[in-house]
Amino acid sequence: MSLLTVSNLTKRFGDLTAVDGASFDIEDGEFVSILGPSGSGKSTILRMVAGFEAPTAGSMTLDGNSLVGVPPFERDLNMVFQNLALFPHLTVAENIGYGLKQSGVPKGERKDRTAAMLEMVHLEGYGDRNPDELSGGEQQRVALARALVNEPALVLFDEPLSSLDRKLRQHMQSELQRIQAETGITFLYVTHDQEVALSVSDRLIVLNDGRIEQVGPVEELYDEPATAFVADFIGDVNAISATVVERDGEHLTLDAGTATNLRARTDGRWQPGDRIDVCVRPHEVRLLDAVGDARSFATRGTVRTRSYQGSDIVYTVETEWGPLTVNARERGHAVGDEVAVTWDAADAHLFPAGESDAESESTDATAERSASESDRARPEGA
Amino acid sequence: MAEAASTEERSTGRNRRVRALVTYLRDRRRLRTSLVAGPPYAVLVLFFALPVLTMLVISFRLGSITGPFTLDNYANFLASDTYRTVLWRTLLVTVEVTAIVTVVGYALAYSIVRFSRRTTLLLLLVILPFWTSYIIRMYAWINILQSGGVLDSTLVLLRVVDGPVGLLYSQEAVLIGFTYVWLPLAVLPFYASLSNMDPDLIEAAKDLGAGPIKAFFTVTLPTTANGVVTGIILVFIPTFGSFITPRLLGGTNSIMIGMVIENQFKSAFNYPFGAAIGMIISAVVVAVLLFGARGGGTLFAGGDGP
Repeated sequence: MSLLTVSNLTKRFGDLTAVDGASFDIEDGEFVSILGPSGSGKSTILRMVAGFEAPTAGSMTLDGNSLVGVPPFERDLNMVFQNLALFPHLTVAENIGYGLKQSGVPKGERKDRTAAMLEMVHLEGYGDRNPDELSGGEQQRVALARALVNEPALVLFDEPLSSLDRKLRQHMQSELQRIQAETGITFLYVTHDQEVALSVSDRLIVLNDGRIEQVGPVEELYDEPATAFVADFIGDVNAISATVVERDGEHLTLDAGTATNLRARTDGRWQPGDRIDVCVRPHEVRLLDAVGDARSFATRGTVRTRSYQGSDIVYTVETEWGPLTVNARERGHAVGDEVAVTWDAADAHLFPAGESDAESESTDATAERSASESDRARPEGA
Repeated sequence: MAEAASTEERSTGRNRRVRALVTYLRDRRRLRTSLVAGPPYAVLVLFFALPVLTMLVISFRLGSITGPFTLDNYANFLASDTYRTVLWRTLLVTVEVTAIVTVVGYALAYSIVRFSRRTTLLLLLVILPFWTSYIIRMYAWINILQSGGVLDSTLVLLRVVDGPVGLLYSQEAVLIGFTYVWLPLAVLPFYASLSNMDPDLIEAAKDLGAGPIKAFFTVTLPTTANGVVTGIILVFIPTFGSFITPRLLGGTNSIMIGMVIENQFKSAFNYPFGAAIGMIISAVVVAVLLFGARGGGTLFAGGDGP
């Protein structure tokens, strides 16, 4: 039986549906991330699991017991808050020991377990300090220790790492993985940052506009995205709208309304006349010196931008199919160069047209973020 | 033409002088600091420190402000049972008022911050009484509390009581009056510290297993301790020395130490004795607040608003 079962979870704030029929399971000991743009409802799901919001409909069970109607202080789970919410009037040790005190653990044992936690998060000797004397990374560790000390069945994370700089964030990510492996506690991590989600989690739940788009292991979501949104949100993607003009077994010929037709290899049930979005990842696009070098199809383009990324170069190439982002090892191309662009017909992901509103979703993120924040500002029990 | 030229000349002359002053000040940090900080300090010295010192000196004179130096004023006060009783009762009333105002004011501020959207309007309503003169508000209370007044006729009408109660000129009337007068003063600092508090802290407490009441006493109250202490001080000090409210609402039934002082200055014309009592109650207030701050400090575990 799954540790956490969420089924048909729905949350409405007035006219706004923040979460729309979300269902997923989390197994004991897993590290699962809920990934979605700002305002997609991921924090609302987390807050419902934690008990700070009551679901409009649907059910949640933890370890087989229903969570609906159970107040937060009676749930066997703890949360690491986005702003950490460390108690400013308590020392680091008192912060960590707070949960133990509430559950009536005697003083001696409390001290030992707090000390053990400090050791686990590498903060030995910090117990008597005030939280505001610590650096951002150290505060993260205190918040983590405070959530772990009660040994809950589940720990929830509401994007706590988003305030850290990249280097520190990567370090904390590996720390999270280490601590999860050491404790065996199940982690449910909410983030809009695909880099964090991809690097730490066993499985991902991708959320868009209150609905779950896809649930699965990280590699599966990257290699076999179920929707154009997932393809775009997990890793980058070039999307081209096209119509199927011919089908020959697995081979499709696609018309993008341009002089050159695209080709794709797929086992999907596409028929001539179907309108589809062709999505191809930047590192799958290849740059050639001449169109004739390509095995199946290619088009010409002009390098518009070139950005050095360390191990490889990211080019933007203006083509008849639109601007394409290309992640390549070749360093030889300069801005303004004429190049030929192609990819392996089997590498393209095909989705029904119109679903690829991923682009607009991500640009709307700021507007949606403010909407989600105003939701959070609602008074308790609303 | 000539006139315009001379105006211009004058203004460039002024500009030059301003520039010269700016240059002069730029190199003199300390002069600049004292120009800014000087006036407030001067006001403090002139209207606070000097008067207190003068009072201190007068309190050691005998009979009049030019009399010989003596310790009699202090000795007489401390030796008198009546005065000691009045001082003790004043302290009790002050503590009661402070306690009532703190509890009611905190509840009010809390509900404004946590449960309402029209925060500004509610705060405005809280401050509104300040727009009316203190004395007028006290006379309004006399009207309400007196025998057969508004309160009595309402209670009789509602058949809560059979005849007029006549709360006026009682300890209760004084408590009601003080609570009414100081409530806004306490609500504002409570409101400020509560609205500064991160609401996630309460959620964190609940998440870690604290029920609502425990979360309040272990997190909400300690993190707003600064505001609570400020509110308490703002209520405690003026209550301890007040004489208008107890005179108007308490009559002769609840004499407070402020009334005794007033009496010394306005009827008995024994300025030195009045000054001595003033010094004594200042010492008592400072002692109580220091003691309270220390006690409160440990009670709130060094709580500090963000």
